[in-house]
Amino acid sequence: MANEIKITQDDRYAAGIFFYSALPLLRVIVESEPKFAAKFKGKSFVFQVSAACEGEPGGKMATHFVIEDGVFTVKVGKAHESPDLEFAFPDLRKFAIFFSGKGMPFPKIKGMSKLGYLIPILMTLLRMAALLQATDAPKKESDKELLVKLYFYLLPNGISRLNKMGHPEIKNFTQTSPDRAFAWSVKDKPELNSYIRVKAGNSKAGRGVYKRCKPFLTMNFDNAQHALDILMSKADMIEYIKKGFLFIDGAPEFGAALGNLMMTVAYYAQGQYIEG
Amino acid sequence: MAGGLSFTAVESTKLATAEIYGKTLSALGDENPNVVALTADLAGSTKIGDFKEKHPDRFFNVGIAEQNMYGVAAGMAKCGLIPFASSFSVFASLRALDQVHTDICYQNVNVKIIGTHGGTSFGQAGSTHHAIEDFAVVRGLVNMTLICPADGIETALAVRAAANTPGPFYIRINRGFDNTVYSTSDYGFQVGKAVTMNEGNDVTIIACGSCVYQSMQAAKILENDYNISARVLNMHTIKPLDKEAVLKAVDETRRVVTAEDHTIIGGLGSAVAETIVESGKGCAFKRLGIPDKFSAIGLHEDLLAMHEIDAAGIVKNVLELMKADFEAEAVKKGLDITKLNFGTAEDWTDEV
Amino acid sequence: MPLTKKEWVELENKAADLRDLCLQTVIWAGSGHVGGSMSSADILTLLYYKHANFDPKKPEDPDRDRIVVSKGHIGVILAPLFAQLGLVEHEQLKTFNLTGSKLGIHLDCNKVRGLDSSTGSLGHGSALALGMALAARVKGQKYKTFLILGDGECDEGSVWEAAMATAHFKATDLITIVDRNHCMIDGNTEDVMRLEPFEDKWKAFGFETIVVDGHNMNQLSDAIEKAKKAKDKPVCIIADTVKGCGISFAAGNYKWHYGAFDAAKEQTAREDLKKYRAERIARAEKEGI
Repeated sequence: MANEIKITQDDRYAAGIFFYSALPLLRVIVESEPKFAAKFKGKSFVFQVSAACEGEPGGKMATHFVIEDGVFTVKVGKAHESPDLEFAFPDLRKFAIFFSGKGMPFPKIKGMSKLGYLIPILMTLLRMAALLQATDAPKKESDKELLVKLYFYLLPNGISRLNKMGHPEIKNFTQTSPDRAFAWSVKDKPELNSYIRVKAGNSKAGRGVYKRCKPFLTMNFDNAQHALDILMSKADMIEYIKKGFLFIDGAPEFGAALGNLMMTVAYYAQGQYIEG
Repeated sequence: MAGGLSFTAVESTKLATAEIYGKTLSALGDENPNVVALTADLAGSTKIGDFKEKHPDRFFNVGIAEQNMYGVAAGMAKCGLIPFASSFSVFASLRALDQVHTDICYQNVNVKIIGTHGGTSFGQAGSTHHAIEDFAVVRGLVNMTLICPADGIETALAVRAAANTPGPFYIRINRGFDNTVYSTSDYGFQVGKAVTMNEGNDVTIIACGSCVYQSMQAAKILENDYNISARVLNMHTIKPLDKEAVLKAVDETRRVVTAEDHTIIGGLGSAVAETIVESGKGCAFKRLGIPDKFSAIGLHEDLLAMHEIDAAGIVKNVLELMKADFEAEAVKKGLDITKLNFGTAEDWTDEV
Repeated sequence: MPLTKKEWVELENKAADLRDLCLQTVIWAGSGHVGGSMSSADILTLLYYKHANFDPKKPEDPDRDRIVVSKGHIGVILAPLFAQLGLVEHEQLKTFNLTGSKLGIHLDCNKVRGLDSSTGSLGHGSALALGMALAARVKGQKYKTFLILGDGECDEGSVWEAAMATAHFKATDLITIVDRNHCMIDGNTEDVMRLEPFEDKWKAFGFETIVVDGHNMNQLSDAIEKAKKAKDKPVCIIADTVKGCGISFAAGNYKWHYGAFDAAKEQTAREDLKKYRAERIARAEKEGI
C-alpha cells in the first residue's frame, strides 16, 4: 500500500455497524427470498467476513455465518478459527469503503475455489448491495417490503452497536433514558416491525412487535413505499406527517431525537464520514 | 433519512387531543346557540381557533385577565348561556379561585371550566405554569364536578357530558400531545364511573389523565415480565369519585396504587385513600405522584419518569408494594423470604 | 328629564322608608353595615322604583334589566328593599343574620328571588355584570345591566380588569354607578389607598363619566337616563355620597361602616332620619318642576 491510512474512531464505528447490523441481513435475505434459500439448500459451511484491526481479539473484527443444511446462524463480532470461505479486508477503512459502496477495494478471498459456497454467497451479497445501495426504490411490492425490512432491522442494531461502542451522541441518549422502547413499523405489516429498547445506558435491538408493552414511540408508515421515501432521503418527514404517510405514535420531540439517531447510523452506513 | 423534526413544526400540523377538543367545542357551538367560548389570551395555546372562526359572535377573549374571565362566564351563565372558559389549569384553579368558588360554585351556575396544560405537561415552562395542586383545590369546591380525561377521545366525551349536565364542571387536560388510550368512543363513558382498562386481581392501579396510558403499559410489563396481574382503573372523574369501584378493588385485589400527574397531597390518591380508610377494610396502598416538591423543567415524558409515574416507575412501585405486602404475609406464615424473587435479569443482547 | 315635584317627592318618601326599614333591620339583627347601606339608598330607590325595567311580580323574566349590587355587604338594606317590593316577607326581616335565616349580611341569590347575584367578595360584581350584558348581546336581548360598586371596592384589580373589558367590548348597556362615600373600614379612602384622581381613572379606562351628588334624586336620575342612552362608550356615574347619611353621628364617619345602636343611639337615629326625610322632601318640593 502506498499510503498508510490511519484508522480513525469513525472507521471503527462504521465497521461496527457493518459487522453487527449490516452483515447479519444476509440471513434475512436468504430467509425472505426462496430463490436465494434454494441456492444454499443442502449446503453446510462457515462463511466469514473480517477486517484486520489492532486491538481486537485475533487481530481482526469479524462476523461469521454458520450454514447448516442451508440454515443460517449469524455470529456477530466473532471470528471462526477456520472458516470455509472468508472475505478478509486488510483494514477497517477498506472494509467500510467497500460495504458502504464508496469504492471497490476487494478483499482477499480465502476458499475461492469452493465455488459451491462462493457463488451463492456472492449472489446474496450482490442482492443485498443492490437493495441497500440503490438510489431508487425497487419496483416490485415484495422487493419494497424486503428493503424496508432490511432498513428496519439495520437501524436498531446500528444504534445499539454504536451505543455499546460508546459513541458519544448515542451514549448520551441512552445514559439518561428511562426504560423505553422505540419502534419502526408499516401499517398492517407486523412482519416488518423492529424496535430498540434503551434504559440507563443499555440498549437492545429487536425484531418483530415489541411484546413487553406498547413502545414509548413508534414511527409508523402507512405503506412500504412511503417508508422507503423517508429512509432513502427522498422526502421530508414533516411533509409526510402532514400528509398522513408517517405517523409518530409518541411525543414529537422524541420522534425528532429518534430521527437524529437514524441519521447517525446513515452517516456511517452510507460512508458519509469518508472524505473524497 | 431526510428532514428533521422540531416540536413547533409538528405542532402546527395539529396534535391529537387539542384538535379533538377544539372540534368538539365547535360542534357543540353548531348544535347549541347558547354555547359560548371564553379565553384569556390563550386561544392559540388551547386550540379553540375553530370555534372562533365559526362563531365569532360567541367567542370572547378577555385578554390576560383570568379572574375577569371566570366572573364574566358566571354572569353569562346566569343569563342562560353555557360558557366554556379555558385557561391553563394553574391559573383556573389558583389565580381565579375566588371567582370559581364564589361566582361559579356558590351561585351554582352552568360554567364549564377547561383547565389546560395540567400537571407537568407544560414541562419546559416550569412551576409557574405547572398545575400540580389543581385537583386538591378544585376537589374541595362544593357543586363542582372534576374530570381528568385520559386522552383526546375521552376529552371530547367529557366536554359533551359537561355541556349536557347542568352545573359547574372542571375538566383538566394536558398541553396537547397525549398518548392515545381509546380507539373508539363507545366504551360507555359516564361521569362518575371509573373505566376498567385492564382486568387483574393481584393489585389495582387507579389512575387519571396521562397516567392511565402509563398504567396500562405498566400492567403489560407486570404481566409479561413478572406474572403479576394488575387491574387498571381509569378514574377520570375525581369528583364525584367512583367509590364503588375503589371498594371493589380493595375487596378483590387488596392492593391499591394510585397514579396522577399531581402532588400526592389532596388529589386522586387522597380521594381514594379517604374512601379506603373510611371503609375500615385493610389494604396495602401507595400514592404515586409528585412528592410535594416543585418539579424540574423538562419534557413531559421525562418528568413523568422522574416522578415515577411513567410505566417503568409504576412497575417499580407496584413491585415494591407487592414485595412488602408479600413479605409481611410470608413472615406471618413463617415462609423463608430469601427464596422470593421479584426481579428478572435483563438481557441486552441485540437480536440478529 | 328633570323630575316633577310629584315624582320627586314620591321617590324621596320611598328612599326615606327604605332607610327607616334598614335602620329597623339593623336593630333587629343587633348590628349591621349601616354606613354603606345608607349611602346607597337613593341609588337603589331610583333603580328599583324608576329606571330599571324590573317587575317584582315577575322576578325571573328573562328580559328584565339586571342589577348587580357588587358591594354585596349592604344586604341589610337590600333585604328591606326586597321586602318593600314583596319579594321577601316583612316577618323574615326579623330573622336577619340569625342562624339558618335566608337573609344575612351578604344575600344569597339562590335564597332571595329577584336578586341577580350573590355578591360579597368585593370586586366580583363588575365581571358578573359584564357577563350579563354580553349575554344579552349574544341572545339578541335588549335589557340593561346596572352595576353598583363601592369606592373602596375599586382597590380590587378585578374591578379594573372588568372595566377594561367593558370598554373594549363596548358594553354600553352596562351602566356602572359608584357609591363614592369616601370611606372604608380602616379610614377614609384617600388615607387608606388613594383613589384620586378617581374620575380620571374611569376616563382612562374608556368610560364616559358623570359626577353627581348621590343624594340629589334629580341629578342622579338625570345621569342614569343619560347613561341608558350611551352608544359609544360605557358610562360610569360617580355618585358623591355620604356614608351613613341621614344619621347625625354616622354621617361621613368611616367608623360607622358597621355598627350597633344602643337605646339612646336608636332614639337619636330615628329622630335624625325623620328630620332628614323632611329636609329632602322640602328640597324636592322646592326644586322639582
